[in-house]
Amino acid sequence: MGLVEKFVRKCRARSPWILLFDTGACNACDIEIAACLTPRYDVERFGVLARGSPRHADILIVTGPVTRQARDRLIRIYEQMPEPKYVVAAGTCATSGGVYWGCYNTYPSLDSVIPVHAYVSGCPVKPEAILKAISILVEKIERGEV
Amino acid sequence: MSEEDILRKITERFGERVLEAKILGRRRISILVSPDAYKDAVKYVAHDLELEFLSCLSGVDRGDSLEVVAHLGFSTQVLIKTRIPKDNPVIDSITDVLPAANLYEREAHDLLGIVFRGHPNLRRVFLPEDWPKGIYPLRKDYAPEHPKPLRGGESG
Amino acid sequence: MSFEIPIGPQHPIHVEPLMLRLSVEGELIVDVDVDVSYIHRGIEKALEVRPYIQGLYLVERICGICNAAHSLCYCLNVEQLLGKEAPPRAKYLRIVVEELSRIHSHLLWLGHYFHTLGFETLFMYFWRDRERVMDMLELITGNRVTTAYNTIGGVRRDLTPEVEQKLRRTLDYIEERMRYYEKVIDSEPTILARTQGVGILKPSDAVRLGVVGPHLRASGIKHDVRLDDPYSGHDEIPFNVITWDTCDCYARVKVRIKEVHECVNMIRYALDHMPSGDYRLKIPPFFKAPPGESLSRVEAPRGELVHYSISDGSDRPYRYRVRTPTLANLLSVVEMLKSRDGYEVYIADVPAILGGIDPCICCSARVVVADEARRRRTVMTLDDIIRISRDRGVERR
Repeated sequence: MGLVEKFVRKCRARSPWILLFDTGACNACDIEIAACLTPRYDVERFGVLARGSPRHADILIVTGPVTRQARDRLIRIYEQMPEPKYVVAAGTCATSGGVYWGCYNTYPSLDSVIPVHAYVSGCPVKPEAILKAISILVEKIERGEV
Repeated sequence: MSEEDILRKITERFGERVLEAKILGRRRISILVSPDAYKDAVKYVAHDLELEFLSCLSGVDRGDSLEVVAHLGFSTQVLIKTRIPKDNPVIDSITDVLPAANLYEREAHDLLGIVFRGHPNLRRVFLPEDWPKGIYPLRKDYAPEHPKPLRGGESG
Repeated sequence: MSFEIPIGPQHPIHVEPLMLRLSVEGELIVDVDVDVSYIHRGIEKALEVRPYIQGLYLVERICGICNAAHSLCYCLNVEQLLGKEAPPRAKYLRIVVEELSRIHSHLLWLGHYFHTLGFETLFMYFWRDRERVMDMLELITGNRVTTAYNTIGGVRRDLTPEVEQKLRRTLDYIEERMRYYEKVIDSEPTILARTQGVGILKPSDAVRLGVVGPHLRASGIKHDVRLDDPYSGHDEIPFNVITWDTCDCYARVKVRIKEVHECVNMIRYALDHMPSGDYRLKIPPFFKAPPGESLSRVEAPRGELVHYSISDGSDRPYRYRVRTPTLANLLSVVEMLKSRDGYEVYIADVPAILGGIDPCICCSARVVVADEARRRRTVMTLDDIIRISRDRGVERR
């Protein structure tokens, strides 16, 4: 059983498919993450593909402070993702509210809405930071630590 | 037309209904009119003075009154302002004169509670559907605090 | 019989939530409504409780792509309130960063637009070339996006001769690439078939609906804030305002490609004629602005950006109003998506038309197609809509 589980974990870690979700961000983090898909940073060499549907995704990358209107959609998308699923809070806004801390339409942080497995700081996140976060998360998946 | 010409034409045309008229700077004119003259002033500036471009419409909370400011003009900007009482904030909509005002008036209605008479579709545009009615975030008496979820019992 | 389709798609590389509700009869769209509440963060209220210098960093994050335009507009606004003007060198440096930011935004849009139309390769090419521009932005300002270059009274860093050399080389490269892309776009029959004649917006409608920016210029109206209301030394720098007469999506692509050439020329002129001297006025970070009001307008990459502020004599604004260009352009989407006699719009045209205004809003919900006749609801993603649009688009033409 241990060997099968190890094999399954290794396969999972080899091709994590991501879903990008913006909950009211200013776009800076989104275009930096989108830049990861382009030739210079090329996240596909890690086996990562960006999918449009929550049902195909392993990792949910969330940017932006969670606005009131986006909260329900975010929770619905999170529930639609099949287990095992991981959430990355990209950017200072998702981690702790960022510049929008205290605004009347945003929540204080992403982990008050859904559980988070990785936090990437930056305003906006640099593409290299996203690549590093994905590779660390993937190593942890392979070792069974998340 | 220079700023002084525009100012002169408007004050001549509307006489006493112009409460305040000043030049704010290069290519910036500010006119405060009484609420009944607001729509006529917008029509005059848009059609007769040919400044038919509405670049913005703002709402301001002035304490005891709410102010509506229409920004007109490609090059020289004419700000046509009017003040309406806070307990009865009703003003004519200018969407039939300048359709561009559609979304801006909805925004002023949503965030400040100004009612635009004659607007084709005065509904929520920015605030979420479950935002309580009667609370207008941009008014000075609304103190921002962390939003608590309006449904469900989890802490925000 | 008509039924409603809400479109608020979520896209792997797309940005911002926007909900469009389409009323359709069969496949023809008859009515449209927009809902932009996903992105509302309460920034105007937040600006009223922050001192001016803190507001600068919040305003920059209204939109990450046009952050240079927002911070420039804010600085111009506050400088007007204080009755000060930035020194000549700062004005030219501001123009350099503003035009670089316009190039990056247009390249981003072009790549994204062709991705929506189905040309992945062009998307990758445009974004690869855009990385050179981002490198330049990082060298000059210290960050790729949200550059924080403008400050009240000038700019925060100076331009060194080494950076200037690299900038000139990048400009040459970008110019050559844009010539190549223009040739590709004009000679590729599928691109022409999918953009020509699609999303027509007549010039009179454009002015009436308050449309701004390249979208307005693609309908033949020659209006550009840099020409009509120059703000940062633009009256000293010669440039052409690009317009195109066909009023369709093809015009929007052409206008933006040619504008990149104009940006390159403007930056070269600014570098050749850069005044010497201070790049920043000495203004203390915390100050009280005298009572008054001020209005500043800037030509952001998407159109005219308006900041209107009222000061009551304290160290924070009494009211700060921001009108972004996409809000002005959104109404025209409603107009362009409605079918009329002789002009039919299908669901398959939605991505091309919506993308044509260069929306600075994101998509994050899903599409629900409600079939009244069969009383069934199916959930589609934007991938599906784009796939339908690509297949039907190719078939139809």
